[in-house]
Amino acid sequence: MRKMPDNSQPDVRIFYANTRFEQMARRPGGVPRQKAMAQAQAKIDELKSGFNDWLDRELRQLNDALAKVENDLNDNASLETAYRNCAQLQSVCAAMGFELVTFVAENLCKIISTMMSGAAYDKDIVDCHINAFLLAKTDQYRAMSPEQVPEMASGLRRVVELAGRNSVRKSAAMDE
Amino acid sequence: MKNATVNLRNLVIVVADPSSYWRRAIYGILRSFGANKVLEVEHSMDLIRILSSQKIDILIVDTQIHPHNWHKLTHMIRRNATNENRTVPILLMSNDTSERIVKDARDAGANMVVAKLMSPNILYDRLCWIAFNPRPFVDCPSYFGPDRRFKIEGYPGGVGRRKGDKIIKVAEEVGPALAQNDIDSLFKAAKTDAQDA
Repeated sequence: MRKMPDNSQPDVRIFYANTRFEQMARRPGGVPRQKAMAQAQAKIDELKSGFNDWLDRELRQLNDALAKVENDLNDNASLETAYRNCAQLQSVCAAMGFELVTFVAENLCKIISTMMSGAAYDKDIVDCHINAFLLAKTDQYRAMSPEQVPEMASGLRRVVELAGRNSVRKSAAMDE
Repeated sequence: MKNATVNLRNLVIVVADPSSYWRRAIYGILRSFGANKVLEVEHSMDLIRILSSQKIDILIVDTQIHPHNWHKLTHMIRRNATNENRTVPILLMSNDTSERIVKDARDAGANMVVAKLMSPNILYDRLCWIAFNPRPFVDCPSYFGPDRRFKIEGYPGGVGRRKGDKIIKVAEEVGPALAQNDIDSLFKAAKTDAQDA
């Protein structure tokens, strides 16, 4: 049998907030859609031209953070900074359609993540990724997919796999 | 909605994103839409400071915001009964728009989730949607936020739980999809197969 709605719920309140946004955004006089789109597209194009500078800056910051971790293996704050830098590189480059940089960033994120959960800092692995970044960010490689550079892609994947295994082994040893 | 125009002039819009690149992109897009009061925020601490010191009109926040995560922030905004920004529209930006994220965002009280790369068109559409399709707020012990029901295709278990829930009329039965003879022949064939085996 079909139950009727329960009307005895005094502690549920449903109301319209009628926010200032709703009121003001509906006012006439806004920028017409077509004009707004054209202006926004021009801004984005402008921003795209500054992408290389942004990428260089982010990579420098990532390098600096990782160098600090190398000097002090207990520097968790720098490790977190490096992780965030890397995640941002992944996020922005994915959105811009730069597959290879996204792939390298995603890989390095995984590596840093294993370090955050206790794996040892491995300078070779980090350097290998930084070098991969330097190659991936060039105009020639940037838009390529990992499948178009199979040796590099499989090498980096293997490195992540090994780092993951080492991390599991280390945490198992710590449990014992 | 495709032809609607939003007027963002004098509305206080906060863009909270740890990435300077994204902040600049969203800022530029919003300015192109006519917004003249856009605040950029890098960390959740700054966002909390703004939320507790001034009235804002819309919040566009990325899921990678830190040190407080987006879920905690959204919850904090919605559950604070004394904050004047409690009902502010919250638009969540994310690279990951999996069902899990969308559900979490909805249950935390966000108005919408948009995928990055957010094109100007999509952002404009979402702003129009929020402005022209206001959703009621639900305030109950376990949830405060915009109504999570976008469209009603039936209640869970067939029963509406709210006072205003009406019985939903489903499509009327128009007779069996198969004629009785067809149904009989299907059973007959199955029976014969079983006997053969």
